[in-house]
Amino acid sequence: MLVLRTLLAGSLHGYGIAKTIRSTSDEALDIEFGSLYPALKRLEAKGWIASAWETSEHNRRAKYYKLTAAGRKHLVREHSKWADFVSAVGRIMGPLPEVKGR
Amino acid sequence: MIWNRLKYLWPAWRRREEREMREELGSLTAIAGSKELGNLTLAMEEVRATWGWTRLDSTLADVRYSLRALRSQPAFVAVAVLSLALAIGANSAIFSLADALLLRPLPVRNPAAVFDVSNTTPDNPLEGMSFPDYRDLRQKSRSFSGLAAYRLTTLAAAANPAAPAQIRFASLVSDNFFPALGVTPASGRVFLPDEAGASAEPVAILSYDFWQQNYAGGSSATGSTLRLNGIVFTIIGVAPASFTGLDRFVRPSIFVPLGMTRRLAGMSADPLEDRGIHNLVVKSRLSPGASPESAQAELAVIGAALEREYAKTNRNRHMAVRTELQRRIQQTPQLLALVKMLMGLVALILIIACSNVANLLLARARARSREIAIRLSIGAGRGRVVRQLMTESLIVSMAGGVAGLFVAYGGIRVLQTLSVPSDPPSVLGVQLDWRVVEFSLLAALVSCIFFGLAPAWQTARTDFVSALKAGGDGASGKGRMSGRDVLVASQIALAMVVLIAAGMFLAGFRNMLVMPPEFRTDHLISLDTAPAVLHYSPEQTKAFYRQLVDRARTMAGVAGAAMTESLPLSPSQTTVSVVPEGYQFPKGREKTVVFGAAVDAGYFSTLNVEIKRGRAFTDDDRAGSRRVAIVNQQFAKTYWPDQDPTGKRIRLDSADGPSAEVVGVAKTGHYLAVNEAPAPFVYLPYEQNPRSRMTLVVQSAGEAGALAAPLRDAVRSIDGNVPVFNLRSVATLYESRVTDTWLQFFQMVGTMGFIGLALATTGLYGLVAYTVSRRVKEIGIRVAIGASHRDVVWLVERRGLILAGAGIAIGGALTAAAAPLLAAGFPGLGVSSPAVYTLVPLALLMVSAVASYVPARRAAGLDPLRALRNE
Repeated sequence: MLVLRTLLAGSLHGYGIAKTIRSTSDEALDIEFGSLYPALKRLEAKGWIASAWETSEHNRRAKYYKLTAAGRKHLVREHSKWADFVSAVGRIMGPLPEVKGR
Repeated sequence: MIWNRLKYLWPAWRRREEREMREELGSLTAIAGSKELGNLTLAMEEVRATWGWTRLDSTLADVRYSLRALRSQPAFVAVAVLSLALAIGANSAIFSLADALLLRPLPVRNPAAVFDVSNTTPDNPLEGMSFPDYRDLRQKSRSFSGLAAYRLTTLAAAANPAAPAQIRFASLVSDNFFPALGVTPASGRVFLPDEAGASAEPVAILSYDFWQQNYAGGSSATGSTLRLNGIVFTIIGVAPASFTGLDRFVRPSIFVPLGMTRRLAGMSADPLEDRGIHNLVVKSRLSPGASPESAQAELAVIGAALEREYAKTNRNRHMAVRTELQRRIQQTPQLLALVKMLMGLVALILIIACSNVANLLLARARARSREIAIRLSIGAGRGRVVRQLMTESLIVSMAGGVAGLFVAYGGIRVLQTLSVPSDPPSVLGVQLDWRVVEFSLLAALVSCIFFGLAPAWQTARTDFVSALKAGGDGASGKGRMSGRDVLVASQIALAMVVLIAAGMFLAGFRNMLVMPPEFRTDHLISLDTAPAVLHYSPEQTKAFYRQLVDRARTMAGVAGAAMTESLPLSPSQTTVSVVPEGYQFPKGREKTVVFGAAVDAGYFSTLNVEIKRGRAFTDDDRAGSRRVAIVNQQFAKTYWPDQDPTGKRIRLDSADGPSAEVVGVAKTGHYLAVNEAPAPFVYLPYEQNPRSRMTLVVQSAGEAGALAAPLRDAVRSIDGNVPVFNLRSVATLYESRVTDTWLQFFQMVGTMGFIGLALATTGLYGLVAYTVSRRVKEIGIRVAIGASHRDVVWLVERRGLILAGAGIAIGGALTAAAAPLLAAGFPGLGVSSPAVYTLVPLALLMVSAVASYVPARRAAGLDPLRALRNE
């Protein structure tokens, strides 16, 4: 889902996706490209992302991934589920009351 | 989605993806540097896994690896495949026999949905239905979507009046026969409802074989005419090649409507309207929603109503729904016993063969323990190793199964020569078909699990540290050796069971050969005629037969002539229903059906059937004189124990039938088979009990065969249109019934015994030889410190003999348990002869001694220096 969300902004190559996730999460999520790559391939096999060879800003050829229509639909569905989940967890956790006995 | 996965099966596509992936990762490495990207090898491997066929890949790898491993051990593969091929082949051949005898489904559409409907009475658990009952059932029942009835008969068929008639099996069938069974004709059409009546235009459908033989499969057959029993029938269609009729041993050539019964038999009253004639076989298809149980319940209601309405014919008569297999078992329980015994014996052989292969695998496993240990130590899971070893076993067993099919084919060719006792002759449908192929592969699969799993598991449990350390072929665990000992001992035990069964067959067979037939078989020739085909009146028939016997008696070279309704041991034995005076029947039964025949006055002297008490029939026992009968000793013993049977009376047909006085007692003979239990028999004088079809028996002064042509001429001189058939010497008939079939069965069981013995011997030899090779060092030391040649031979030999002794002891116990079963299935054959029980163990012991002597000699010939230097 993270990958799909990242690609919503536009097409990126594999390493670019890893970098973007790291920078958007303020380095909190450091996903190694080696782990990300098989996931990319799985998403591609499911038809949610598509890839094509393009030339990068540094004039280097690389494979760029972009979101497909099916992927976009999936992201919307998953995103609302995620939002529901987060708000549910949030309601339970709430702000912590003062810890007594200190 | 599926396509996405499927395309990865294509190697070119995979190569393409692989290239893409490498290229992509290469380009990214150029952008980011390899350190930044992490473990790319692992990533690539994971991606390959998403291609989804790793399981298949690893299986293929297993197969490739197994093939390579097997190729390096051709001797092992040859012995294993050969053992399995013999055993699986024997199993498949016997399966095809069992299929022909009992198991094969009816050749109709969806045979599993076809049920048999028949009558049961206290006297007979499986009796046919009468046509009126069938008609009522068809009208009243709701459980069936189709009810077809038929009756098997023989007809004289001729293409034209001039051609000689051939006697053929035919089925008289109900109008809905073909549609109800789901059989569509190969050409032409099926019967129409208005062709069912007794006065309808005569029409016939040919069987595919008959069409091929007599019309060369030509399209002109349909529409042409055929004379059946002298009546002209129009051929309207040909049955498909797959439809060979509903009987196991008889393939009808011609199908005609049941309505023709009266005209074909030349009778004045229509037998179809007689509720007392129960000779129809009825097959049903359940309607949707009905179950055999619900149908049975409905039949009980209908049967009770019929019983109330027609008390005379339907008293104590019930209807039963059976599966085809249940019907066949009910019909021929002795075949079930035979099939069980044969299947049991071949199953034992398969077990022997499997133990053989298991033993080989265990021996091989030790040689391979180093290789396995290496695989385990570099991280192969034990499950993975077991899988790989099982793949090897599966390849071996499948090769055995396929080779077994060739063995089975050979066996089936032999089984096809088994004769079915019938007139006219018919074939036993033993054939190599898909059912047999499926059975072979299934047997191969089962045996693979049987012989492969334990050794594979054992091997994978190898303690790899010690296996690698020992360097050679692993440490010798005593427990494992004893496992192999058990295998070999049980092989010998099972081989002994099979051999003793073969021996019992042989002993029983010899008994049968020396058993007197109780009637003359030499210098006799017999022939059948059927003047009824020409629609003779009963008086004409009687005159014809009287004339025929007279002519035969006056022919040159004839010592005597007689007539009988059925010859002893001929395939068609006739029966009579009688009520013996003074005999108290069990409740519900009121008469008994026993073998019986109408014979003339010359019968007893011509066939040399001994009269023990009273007198034989004379020419004075004619129509109008006092009714008489002769019973055999067994009949007297059964119904009038400890009484003088002469002077007693029996009622014929039923309790209110005509009464006949017993004037003589004949010696009990064999009627259907030589090995049958003594059966009661009733002789009736022909003149008082005329029959439409009689057999003429002529005793010759010289060679019986020389009378064949003159006898044929004699029939022709009385009436040229009367068909003559089954013209043969009684000795030939006797041999075919007594010797041939049983000789073939004996050969079959003998072959099984031989295969079992050969496999068990191979197993023993293999084990002893293996032990010798494992003990080279020990034997070397023994020789070096002065053990003599004889000591060494004995050392090895002793081991083989101990195993054989253990096997024989177990085998003896097993046989003692199995022998009663064998004896029960085969009266007269399951003879426990002491010679068999002594000879078989002795033979086994001798073979075992020889099998272990070969490796023992080799051990004794060892050069101690070389044996020790090997280390």
